[in-house]
Amino acid sequence: MSFGEGFLRFPDLFPGRRGGEPWGERSLVLEVAGGPYLVAGLSAAQEEAAHRKFVGLCRPADAAAAVAIHLFRAPSTDFLDRDVRGWEYTLDRDYSPGAVLLAGLRLMGRIDWTPALTGGLWTSHPGGEEWVSTFENFFRVLTAYRLLEQGSALLHSAGITDGTSAWLLLGPSGAGKTTSSGLCLARGGTVLSDDLNAVEMPPQQPMLTRLPFTGDLGDRSGGPASFPLAAVLRLVKGEEDRLLPLSPGRALAGLVASAPFVNQDPWRREDLFGTLERLARSVPAYELVFSLGGGLWDILKGIPK
Amino acid sequence: MSSITLSTVLRRRSDVRYRRIEGEAVVLRQSAAEVLVLNEVGASVLDLADGERSVRQWIEELTHEYDADADTLARDVLTFAGELHDAGMLEEVSGEAKP
Repeated sequence: MSFGEGFLRFPDLFPGRRGGEPWGERSLVLEVAGGPYLVAGLSAAQEEAAHRKFVGLCRPADAAAAVAIHLFRAPSTDFLDRDVRGWEYTLDRDYSPGAVLLAGLRLMGRIDWTPALTGGLWTSHPGGEEWVSTFENFFRVLTAYRLLEQGSALLHSAGITDGTSAWLLLGPSGAGKTTSSGLCLARGGTVLSDDLNAVEMPPQQPMLTRLPFTGDLGDRSGGPASFPLAAVLRLVKGEEDRLLPLSPGRALAGLVASAPFVNQDPWRREDLFGTLERLARSVPAYELVFSLGGGLWDILKGIPK
Repeated sequence: MSSITLSTVLRRRSDVRYRRIEGEAVVLRQSAAEVLVLNEVGASVLDLADGERSVRQWIEELTHEYDADADTLARDVLTFAGELHDAGMLEEVSGEAKP
């Protein structure tokens, strides 16, 4: 199946450039890692829904922004009706040196690098929860690319902090990110997100930064929060809690596998490998075998900082 | 089940990228976002999989590089080649190896 065929009635008419009829004249600025991000072309209903969803992240529309996202109308007839029962959400992606094209449920998007990273989103949703979900699906991908451009990374992970340091827990779906997050929460830890977190790479030390993209656990309404990253840990379920060394190669493999969207982009792979290799070399990495006993919190706290 | 023999010629698939880090190779099959970690010999196998040399020629080269028993090395290389082929990292090239 070629790009967009599963979502779009006319894939050949995918927008060739960022342009079209805006939904409205409203805009807002989101204070999220890699940003701030200006979202322009909103209707009043879309602006209201975004404010509800991203409460603590919204800044006045005239606040300075580093990245712009332009929103455009698309007729509902542009999109195929799709039975989503039992379907795991996915986006079609088409990669090229200067742009990434996205097609999804009621969504066409493009991320362009000329002259600077900018987003364009076409949807038929006029507002409400469905609109904001569509926006978030696009925004996650754009944030991943923006962080990569800055030498940072968006990672499928659980981010845990004690308020002073932070730990990044990696593993594929089912590895126990939400379970281990819940165990830490019960012992007094804070879960930044059990789904997607940002690792920013200032020269001094990698920082784990909250993103508004959570699964079951995490605070999506709070503003940005960053903590020095103490360790990267690959999760393994077990009968007891213990910490094992993880080689830089295995740490890098875990990080690459956990970098959604960008790890399938053939045009930006060297940037990804380079960023994640720097990360793998700059923080300790371990395999964390954990049980349901909750001892993993004491193990995390005992990792030298 | 792999059908790799000493005369098979293999090359890395076009969507396979890898990076060496401290004696290991991190291999990414980009189209599926699959990641493998290989040891030093596995990494050397990837280096040699250029679509021109046969598995037998790889073994000859690696025998010079590693101080290992030739039979053991041959067995390891055939195993690695088969596993990487089955994992979709390497593909067979039809025709003869270059001398």
